[in-house]
Amino acid sequence: MAQIELTNVSKTYHDHVAVHALANINLAIEKGEFAAAVGPSGSGKTTLLNLIGALDTPDSGAIRIGELEITSTPAAKLADFRLRHLGFVFQSFNLFPVLSVLENLEFVPALRGLPKPDRVHRAEQLLEAVGMIDLRDKRPDELSGGQQQRVAVLRAILPEPDLVLADEPTANLDSENAALLLDMMERLNHERAVTFLFSTHDPAVMSRARRLIRLKDGRIVEDQVPKR
Amino acid sequence: MLFWQMAWRNVWRYRRRSLLTVLTIALGLAFNILMRGIGDGFHEQMVDNSVRAGIGHIAIHRSGYQRDPALLKTLPDLSLLEHVVPQTPHLRGCSFRVLGDGLASTAGNSTGVRIVGIVPESERSVSTIDRAVIAGEFLNERMSRPALIGERLSQSLGARLHDKIVLLVQAADGSMGAQLFRVAGIFRSGSSDLDRGVVYLLRNDAQSLFSLEGGVSEAALLLHSSQSVAVAQQFLDQQLRGIPAEILPWYVVEPFLRQFIQLDDAFFYIIVLILFFVISVGILNTVMMSVLERVREFGVMMALGTKPGQIVRLVMQESVALALVGVAMGAALGSAATILFAYQGIDLSHYAAGAAALGITTTVIHPELTLRNLIVSDVSVVLVVLVVAFYPAIKAARFRPVNAIRHI
Repeated sequence: MAQIELTNVSKTYHDHVAVHALANINLAIEKGEFAAAVGPSGSGKTTLLNLIGALDTPDSGAIRIGELEITSTPAAKLADFRLRHLGFVFQSFNLFPVLSVLENLEFVPALRGLPKPDRVHRAEQLLEAVGMIDLRDKRPDELSGGQQQRVAVLRAILPEPDLVLADEPTANLDSENAALLLDMMERLNHERAVTFLFSTHDPAVMSRARRLIRLKDGRIVEDQVPKR
Repeated sequence: MLFWQMAWRNVWRYRRRSLLTVLTIALGLAFNILMRGIGDGFHEQMVDNSVRAGIGHIAIHRSGYQRDPALLKTLPDLSLLEHVVPQTPHLRGCSFRVLGDGLASTAGNSTGVRIVGIVPESERSVSTIDRAVIAGEFLNERMSRPALIGERLSQSLGARLHDKIVLLVQAADGSMGAQLFRVAGIFRSGSSDLDRGVVYLLRNDAQSLFSLEGGVSEAALLLHSSQSVAVAQQFLDQQLRGIPAEILPWYVVEPFLRQFIQLDDAFFYIIVLILFFVISVGILNTVMMSVLERVREFGVMMALGTKPGQIVRLVMQESVALALVGVAMGAALGSAATILFAYQGIDLSHYAAGAAALGITTTVIHPELTLRNLIVSDVSVVLVVLVVAFYPAIKAARFRPVNAIRHI
């Protein structure tokens, strides 16, 4: 059974005019994949990630992640689902500005009720592993964009989610920082078997992805495994 | 704990705005504490003046006397009362008095008066009338038929010190009693009722005048504080159960005073309500701005799995943090101001003439700082903040994460 399965998923936004963001999407993603949804702006990449991330609901169709059919799950339970199974990386970093790097990493484990010594230990271990331990007490505004985005990835990874959804993670980074970020995500995918699904139109990300799901006008027009 | 850290730091994220809000809370609370202190001090002094002017904190009469103060309604079982009353908790003094009405006459004038028969030493422990004597001296047992009269009564009767006055009364046995007294002292209490219409006699003389044969109309008890009335009354109720006596606190004996205090309190509460409304608007503005400036942050929190209830909690914690800083500053400022004014006193003697006409003899107010008022004021402000912050908190919790994340 695939880790993520979308069946006939459609989503239309009604803002003055109806915009068909996704139309009859059928998609299955296996555990441990490093996949990217690609396509031009407005093709439906972000909507796809929002639906899989249980941040939005489809107009029709079904979405299953692991054992949970999220389209029929009450909204109140979806927060808990996201907390326990998903990790998010956003285009604009979105670290909490009042928290230090270490505290940002502690945030999700704290929500999960992990005792402070345990979550601090895990956060420090991860920072150590990626060579960022020196930044542990810095606030986000003291970090470069690349450093912030790497902390955001670590925040998504630390609670060991089943799936990390990354919406244009390299959009605000220069090529050097983008490469560093992708190195780190590849390593985490490889070492921890965390499933990654990106939305991107960054060629650097596309070249690293092991599967490209190409969208156009809300439809999957191509689903391929690039040749290396 | 992480949420409290976030809350605290979020408060100081917009330092100037938070400081202004804290200042609004602090000044509002300080004003509230000071005004409450002034009100309490004023009321306590009014009560103290009244009880020291004669009514006492508690009065004991024969049952029915308050409704119909007939001369024959003397205290029952006087020996029991004289044994029990001195044991009353928080008692400062007590005076067993004879009360009656009569006509005071001199050669030229006559006027209706209230006659109060007292034992001087006991009366000193209850009232301040001995200190109000401006001519002659206070009554003592060595004098022969002395009378102590108010300054205005002395003027209206044309009776000066050592002059003779005749008191004409209807005695308890129905006969007319008339006796001659000599003005031993003239007092000025500040209360126009007392100064105009009361004559103090020795209790034995009053009993003789009214043919009461040892009867006493009233026991007036002075306590250490008006706060002790309930405890003292409970004690007396228990001890005097079974005898036909009514045990009345000052506010039953002098309902006008209580009504005045209640009215004054009502005005104060209206001012406090307006004040809290102004504070609320300030807090609502701050919290709402703080929420609307962080829509995307709340969206990210929700995406990461924060539940709506936790979002509400975070906003409320921020508001409580804001309130607690304001309350700490306000309580310190309000307490300091109240203590300062309590020490110095607020002189209202310019307005004393008008107040005396209403029976208010308090001219220098000493505000009171009580723990109860401090706690009530502080808790009220925190509650107001919590109520006001609830709307922005709910609003934050209702953001749709998918929209909030994209919010610019």
